[in-house]
Formats: sequence, structure tokens, C-alpha cells
Amino acid sequence: MPSANQPKNGITKLTNCRLGRGDSLVFDNIWISSKTGKILRSQAAFYDELILPDEIIDLGGRIVSPGFIECQLNGAFGFNFSTVMDDMSQYGKKVRDLNKKLVQTGVTSYIPTVTSQASDLYKKVLPYLGPSGNSPIANEGAESLGAHVEGPFLNPGKNGVHNKTALREAETVLDLDEMYGASNINPSATEGRIPIKMMTAAPELGQMIKIIPELRSRGIIYSIGHSEATFEEASAAVAAGATMITHLFNAMRPLHHRNPGIFGVLGIADSSLPRRPFFGIIADGIHLHPATIKIAWNAHPDGFILVTDAMHMAGLPDGTYPWTNGEGEHFITKKGPVLLLQGSDTIAGSSITLIDCVNNFLNWSGATIPQALKAVTATPALMLGVEDAKGSLEAGADADLVILSEEKSDSGWTSLVVDEVWKFGSKVFERDNLIGLSVIS
Amino acid sequence: MRFIIRVDSEAASAFVANYIIERIRRFVPTATHPFVLGLPTGSSPLGVYRILVERYKAGEISFQNVITFNMDEYVGLPKEHPESYHSFMWKHFFSHVNIHPSKVNILDGNAPDLEAECVNYEAKIKAAGGIDLFLAGIGEDGHIAFNEPGSSLASRTRVKTLAYDTILANSRFFSDDLAQVPRMALTVGVQTVLEAREVVVVALGARKALALQRCVEQGVNHMWTLSALQLHPHPMIVCDEDATLELQVKTVKYFKSIEHVAREQGFEQILPTKVQTGEPCGLETSTLLKTTPVVATKDVTSDDESPTILSPQPTTSVLLHPGTPEDEYRVRSASPDFVPDRMASRIPDPVVALRLTPNPEKQLARMNAVGA
Repeated sequence: MPSANQPKNGITKLTNCRLGRGDSLVFDNIWISSKTGKILRSQAAFYDELILPDEIIDLGGRIVSPGFIECQLNGAFGFNFSTVMDDMSQYGKKVRDLNKKLVQTGVTSYIPTVTSQASDLYKKVLPYLGPSGNSPIANEGAESLGAHVEGPFLNPGKNGVHNKTALREAETVLDLDEMYGASNINPSATEGRIPIKMMTAAPELGQMIKIIPELRSRGIIYSIGHSEATFEEASAAVAAGATMITHLFNAMRPLHHRNPGIFGVLGIADSSLPRRPFFGIIADGIHLHPATIKIAWNAHPDGFILVTDAMHMAGLPDGTYPWTNGEGEHFITKKGPVLLLQGSDTIAGSSITLIDCVNNFLNWSGATIPQALKAVTATPALMLGVEDAKGSLEAGADADLVILSEEKSDSGWTSLVVDEVWKFGSKVFERDNLIGLSVIS
Repeated sequence: MRFIIRVDSEAASAFVANYIIERIRRFVPTATHPFVLGLPTGSSPLGVYRILVERYKAGEISFQNVITFNMDEYVGLPKEHPESYHSFMWKHFFSHVNIHPSKVNILDGNAPDLEAECVNYEAKIKAAGGIDLFLAGIGEDGHIAFNEPGSSLASRTRVKTLAYDTILANSRFFSDDLAQVPRMALTVGVQTVLEAREVVVVALGARKALALQRCVEQGVNHMWTLSALQLHPHPMIVCDEDATLELQVKTVKYFKSIEHVAREQGFEQILPTKVQTGEPCGLETSTLLKTTPVVATKDVTSDDESPTILSPQPTTSVLLHPGTPEDEYRVRSASPDFVPDRMASRIPDPVVALRLTPNPEKQLARMNAVGA
């Protein structure tokens, strides 16, 4: 026990908690530091630095997960990333507000998504959406790992709710530089760090497949999506370096047994190709049938990433909200998690939270809790190339944690509930009615 | 010797854990008057550690004022290696209880000067006032710590080369790769253990039965180093039924009846008060006794007669070899490189080893002479 006169070292030990190790949950302790923002190598701290934690928290058998990583978020809490404001400093403030609210849902890092827009909008908003950088500041909330530009190099036949008139084709990488602004996409045009982390584009359009290797060399993830690509075209994109598929099944050709399309690349047995791509799955019960989700998971469990594709209506009450895709004024009707373009049956993104996606998947698929959590932690971290810092409970990783209770309803539905969220070793959220929690032993 | 037999390993482990907890409680350790506990690794004490951790979590015991000394550690294995004894202790005990790292002592197998590390370790034990209770396991060949067969019973903390059989046995922890198994270890000596004021040995399972038989029913022998326990004034062995398989029924019944009678009379281990509570440390003895829970029917009058260890002293050195210099190992040269061989392998013809006469050639010559 540290005595009162010892200086505070900012170390917290979470004990009596279940950690996901492989496919099972094991009882273990975890030491985190609010000073370094990292998960500690507890044994070395004890033996070599003679350190004991300031605080020991008994979690009563609850689950500790790495903080969730969201790879498809268009906005939330009334703020849409694809928005231009007269005073762009207000945009930065809106993003910071969103970060603080978003972290309360268990999402500790994410890639903000900007839909198909005119070049001018990208150039204005992207500087605000880049990676938060290396300074671990817990109370800033969720952290951007870089922006995701979903468009405008999309196939007009699979535009979803994207504005068709904004869609373009790219012949060379210069078209991309021009569209997004070189400082946003070309590391050599800036001081190395660029806002864009991922780009969704249709590989069959223009010379996109030839551009993929250049994107890779810039550290940008190329994701296949909003595309009419055949199996052959999708395979060529994977061979060129595509490592992700944006919301698999949605905005692409359906699986046909004689032309399996983009989904078919998950069945590639050709060992000459690089690893099969990761893929995003919207498990909101609207975009995809539960059986489809299970098929996708069984096809390639290590590539399975749960995403919300949530719009700015996420976190808002039901109702009708104005929305623009850059082409006139539209309205979106929100009813529960369902978002429809007013007066149509077109699904306009979702308003589900990531933890609800995890719970849906958990109950629909029969996956174990660690397997379900992996789809929002370790797998997206690996896809984004940040597996050493994010989505991990190993020593040295960022101490971004979510503490979850496991609740079972009478009908047998298992729900994970976000009780607490820790960012960089500090507690940033605690559920209000946490007292009187049932302890799972 | 107190010899406690329990039906199974769980009951034996529970007995040992309870005993340690009782000893620490009666000792009433404080920051200036800590309880000094010697600790083993291996499979035998696992149950004991588990129960100690459970009891700690139930708030029944605190390790705040306990100093620990571990028995041994491999040489050259990183502390972080999952098979290191640092890792073992962290995983099974230290990470779960409220012991301060500054009170934990484990030999450093990566010290630049291993000899100095061993000498310092002995000095640290002395500086802590000696070990109040040394918990130990027993090897299948009767070893205590890494004091394998043939180790001097007067040995102290030192570098030890492992027997080939031990290396083979340990290879299962190193993905069956002999090359990865450490060849040497640092270990406390038999003497170091015997200098503890009390030694408690836990022996579990049929595999330990032969070793237990040698150490309990037979004489003191350096081939079964734990047998040196017979020279200690307060030894206790706790085992399960399986570990008694090689003992005579008579022996088992004898010790069981002793325990039975003792319990009827209402006393258990009789330790002199000074051993139970440690040195008074400047406090008035009477004050100390008042604050100490009095043991049921402890025979305090036997204090003076009872052989005891109040401060570390080389008991066996006196008993076995009065001249053994305590600091012999200070001038010792480093251990030689490991040569994998065994006693038997030094005799080329196995038949030779079976003959009783030491010089068969001479005998043969004599026989021939008689015949002529």
C-alpha cells in the first residue's frame, strides 16, 4: 500500500476483472498509467522500479476491453463532418465537442468519414479531422486516427445517398491531390503527417487500380466500396494493395454464384495474392440480415470489422432532420436506429452506436464476447496499422479502455453495457446508475 | 519434526496457508519489526499461494509488513521470461497481495557478478534479522531449493550447475528445446534454509513419496539434501496421503497419532515465544507479550530447554564440520562450465560397477596363484 507521503505516480491497477485473451475471457490484473497514457508492464514496474499503484480498483469480475475503434462515422450528436461553416473555427469546436460525447459510448478512437463532396469542402474540413497527434490528453475524449474520405471517386450506379453530381473518376494520383488538396493527401507536400488515413473508391473507375500502390506508399488505406466491381476487378484491386472493403454488401453488387463480386474476394484461395482484405459490417439489423453477417464472419473472421456508418442524427431523439449531400435540401427521418431519406425507402446511414452493433453481432452469430469485441478493437487496429497502440491490452499499448457489464435478459439476449471509459489511463466516463450493479462472478 | 498428513493436496495446502497466516498474525509484524518469510517456487506451493491470495482478498491477512526472500532463480534468464522465478512469483503471489516491492527479495540471475550477488543475498537475510519461516518444496530427488543430490549440507547461497536430469525435466517449460534451458541457477544453500527459525516443507503427490521416505525415515544424507531438516530444531513437513506411499505404515500411524494426541491436548506447533514473535526489538518483553495473542496451551516453561534459533547461526556447520568457514564462498572461483555426465557414465563397463571387490585384477591373480 502506498503511504500518504509517497508522491503520486498516476498508476491505477484494475483488479478482479476479465480480460479478453485470444478467444476467452481470463481473470487478470491490468496496470495503467495516466502519466504515460499507456498500459504498464506491471511485473517490470514492480521488480525494477519498485512501483505500486496509487489506486487499486476492484471491478467485481466485469470485462475490460480495449477502447472501441470506429471506422465509419459520418457524424454524431447533431454534427455532420461533411459540413462547411462560415466560421471554420466553429467547425473545430464542434469536432472537439463531438469527441467528448463520442468517448462516452466506448469509442476511444475513430476515423471521421467525409462523404462525396465538392473539392472545396474537403480542403476546408480535412485539416480539422487529421490524427490528434502524439500528445495523450485524456479529457479531449475520442481521438481521430485520421480522416476517411468516402468518395467522390465512387460508381454512380452505387451512390447510395451520395450526391451523384459530385462523383468523379481519377486518371492519375494528381486528380486526388487536386480533389482533396495536396496538403491533405500528399505527405511530401506537407511535413509528413497528413489528415487522410483511408479512402473509399470504386476500383473499376478511371485508373484507380493503378493509383492504389501510390496511395499505399503514402500510408493511406485503400478501401473498395460504392462499386460495381466484378470479382476480377475486386481481385485486381486487392492485388494492387486494397486492404479494406467499405460496408460489405451495401452499395455493391450482390453475391451471384457465377460472379461472386466484391464479396468473392473473401473466398480467394490464390496464395499469390496478399492477405484477404478487412471489411466493414453494419450490424444494425437494417442494412444487413443477421444471417448475411454470420456468413461474412465465417468467411473471414480475422477481417471482420463492425462499423456503424452513423450519421449526425446518432445520439439525437427520433424526428425529422434536415440534411444535405451538397445537392439541395433533404430531410432524413429517424425512428429508433433507422434512418430513411424522407419520402423514400433509401437507407440513409444509421444512427446506431458501436456497442449496439457489438451486442447485435454477439447475439446473432453465437460468437464469444472476446470475438465480438475483437471486431471493434484488435481487427480495426490491425487494419489501420495501429495495432501496437490501439485495440490491445498488451503492455505498451495506449491505456484506452472500456469497462463492460454483461447483462442477460429473460429472453436470453446478452447485452454488454458500457460502465466506464478510460482514455490514456484516466477515467473519462462513468455510467450514472452504476451503483447497485449486479456482480458477475 | 512435526509431520502433518492430510487426505489430499488441497487440504495439505490449506493447512500450510493457515499455518503461515497464523504465524504472521501472532508475530504482529510492524514496519520496524517485520515478519521475514522465505518462499519457494514450483508446483508444490501453488495451492498455498492461491489460498494465501484468497485469504488476503478476504481481508484476513496483510503482507504489508512482511519481507520475503525467494529460494532461487535461473542464471541468464531474463526476469520477464515466463519461466523465470520472478515471473512465477509475480503471477502467483506478488501481483495479488499488498506486499511492497522494496520488501521482496529474489536472487538476480542476471547480476554482473553472480558471486557477489550471492554473498549480498546472505547479507541481506542477516540484515533483515534472519528468516522467521522458510516455506519449501521438495524435489523428486529430495532436493531443497536447487541444492541437488550431493550438495554440501553446509552450503550457502551460491551459483549452482544444474544436473542433466533437471535440465531434461525443465525442457518441458522451454518448448522442449534443451538449448534454451538455463544451465545454472542461483540458490540459497542448505545451511541458509536451516538457519531459518522455522522451516515448513510441503510435499504433494506420489512422485515425491520416495524422496519423503529418504528424508524422514533415513539418516541425514547429502544425496537427499532435504534430510538435513532433521538437524533443524523446528522443522515441519506437510504432505498429502499420496506422498506417504513409500513410508512405513508404522511411520505414518506414528505421526498421525502424535498429531491426534497433540490436538486432544489442545496444542499444535510448540515454538518458543521468541521465535513466535521475533526479537523484542527494544520493546519491553512483557509489553510485547501482552499485545500478542497467547497460544492456547503453549508450554512457555520449555523455552530455556528448547533448542531454537533466535538469530542466524551456522547450525550444521557446527554439527557437521565445526571448521567450515562461513564466508567460504567469497573466495570461491566461478562455477566451471557444465559438462553433461553422470556418476555411472564414468565407469565404462557397467559390470565393473556391480563387483564388490575394488581390485578385480589383483583378486584374479591371487586366485590363479592358489590354483597353481
